[in-house]
Amino acid sequence: MNTFLVKVSGVLLLFASLPARSQQGQQNGPIPRAVDGKVDLTGVWVVSGSPDLPSDPDYLPDARKVYLQRKESGRKGDPEKACLPNGVVRIEPLPYKIVQTPKLVVMLSEGNTHSYRRFFLDGRPHDTDVEPDSWNGNSIGHWDGETLVVDTIGFNDKTWLDSTGKPHSEALHVVERYRRPNLNHLEIAYMLEDTQAFSKPYSFTRSFTRVTDRDLREYFCAMDNFAGK
Amino acid sequence: MKLRFWTLLPAASAIGCFLALSWVPISAQDGSKDGKKKVPYPGAVRPTKAPPPGPPGPVPHMADGKPDFSGIWNAQRQLPGDPEPDMLPWAAALTKQRTENYSADDPEARCVPGGVPRATPYHVQMVSTPTLLLFLYEGNIHTFRQVFLDRKEHLKITEPLWYGDSIGHWEGDTLVVDSVGFNDKFWFDMAGHPHTTQLHIIERYHRRDLGNLDVEVTILDPGTYSKPWVQHRLATLETGFDIVEYVCNENNQDPGRLAGNTDR
Amino acid sequence: MEHRRVVLAASLGLIFSSVPLAAHHSFEAEYDFNRTVKVSGIVTKVEWMNPHARVYVDVTDEKGKVTNWNFELGPINILLKNGWRKNSLKAGDQVTVEGFLSKVGEGLGNARKITFPDGRRVLGGSSADNPQ
Repeated sequence: MNTFLVKVSGVLLLFASLPARSQQGQQNGPIPRAVDGKVDLTGVWVVSGSPDLPSDPDYLPDARKVYLQRKESGRKGDPEKACLPNGVVRIEPLPYKIVQTPKLVVMLSEGNTHSYRRFFLDGRPHDTDVEPDSWNGNSIGHWDGETLVVDTIGFNDKTWLDSTGKPHSEALHVVERYRRPNLNHLEIAYMLEDTQAFSKPYSFTRSFTRVTDRDLREYFCAMDNFAGK
Repeated sequence: MKLRFWTLLPAASAIGCFLALSWVPISAQDGSKDGKKKVPYPGAVRPTKAPPPGPPGPVPHMADGKPDFSGIWNAQRQLPGDPEPDMLPWAAALTKQRTENYSADDPEARCVPGGVPRATPYHVQMVSTPTLLLFLYEGNIHTFRQVFLDRKEHLKITEPLWYGDSIGHWEGDTLVVDSVGFNDKFWFDMAGHPHTTQLHIIERYHRRDLGNLDVEVTILDPGTYSKPWVQHRLATLETGFDIVEYVCNENNQDPGRLAGNTDR
Repeated sequence: MEHRRVVLAASLGLIFSSVPLAAHHSFEAEYDFNRTVKVSGIVTKVEWMNPHARVYVDVTDEKGKVTNWNFELGPINILLKNGWRKNSLKAGDQVTVEGFLSKVGEGLGNARKITFPDGRRVLGGSSADNPQ
């Protein structure tokens, strides 16, 4: 019994000390730079804490009604459950990978549809002629000092903002500000505007931790639903 | 601007027509009864002419001096002249059955991943970095494939994959991509050429000039093919159109309606 | 607009000589090349989605019976590349659809050509016309 307790406490001690030590060491590492001198966001990242929004946006009456209906129905009609894309605001607790080049930044998603987002940094304006609305919208980016600012419009209204069913309209406009405060952390500050669904803009921040022991794994949600034979 | 897209149409159809005329079935269809128009099995159609070349110009290079494959590419098209694969009897029988059922059982029609080296009629964006080559697929499903250039050994694959584990290295200006770790669920093409989990694929990518990417695919699978199957393909640079979203499973009504060859 | 019509007419002429090749699914697995259809009616719904866009058309026969046809168009990317846009067709539009019948059901077809309300005849992005 005593031996058991000692072993358990020893393990606990080990757990208690390891993360703190490694975190400190990691945070002291230099922030990588890309060939063009910008902060390099390239890496595999996983969200720290809940992927859901920390609170409710201030909804206009019609949108609030939709939100309540979804909650009361036990989140019926969740597009993610049908293996449809999460869009931009909703994320999974599975890792994402950023691949940064000077004119194009790509964000790969392990989970959900195992797909990608593209941020165009070549100075092009938003183009919604060809695709007026889409699951992931149209994203253009620029550097504001050490921060990558990604501006996205052109959404459909089919996605949920998180797993609780928070709705939005096609008027949704998302500004994401990507920062790498240290080697092992990524921060995305979100600003959401939606004149058709929100009474005022909604902002929040997510923190991500760098995943160092693996790359993205293959994950195909649609397979079970559509493989057929 | 809008006019520009409409004016693309004759070009697109000219290409369609060109391709149509330059592709022939390798075997005649035998299901013509009641004077019906003969329709070739789609999987039995082989190219007789090279596709029209992409735009000329110098090859772009990355900061490290290697060729940069970044860009939007039209579907890889097989060039004429490649011999048919030498299949083991089970594979030949299965391919024949799939082909003659008008490819009704094609996994691609169920929106599952296409695997390697399946070419689709959709665009592919390639993103080159010194350590990674990315393929961003427009369709058949809107996913990606990674080729790791900073790793010399394959991962230990415990669960076979749709896109395998791909590592690459340069031989001069040619990127050689070596892939293993595949599952056996996907078809190589509409003909339904099968494979086993022993599959090993070697792709050689050479950007001949700005608009033309030569791809040589070698399929090694002793469980299915009695000798290596080599395919020569060309992808051309698409300069007038970006890839768009393609969510295959959003409204896929087809699977229940794929009757196959009802004449047999 | 006049320019477009000429361009489209030229493309139609060219493309109709083509041999069927396939895209998301094999054309011949789902549709019958030997059973063509030409119907006119009112668009009730457009599904601008993948793997194919779809247009639903209410067609009234001589006896006054209304059938809601479900026609497969091309995938969105092919339609966009061919000049289509999401709002090219809307519910309420009067159209004529020429295409092929499904092998399995009534009121199902693959739309090869569509005559728009303004008289333009456009390709439906049918996999019958788009090479693999």
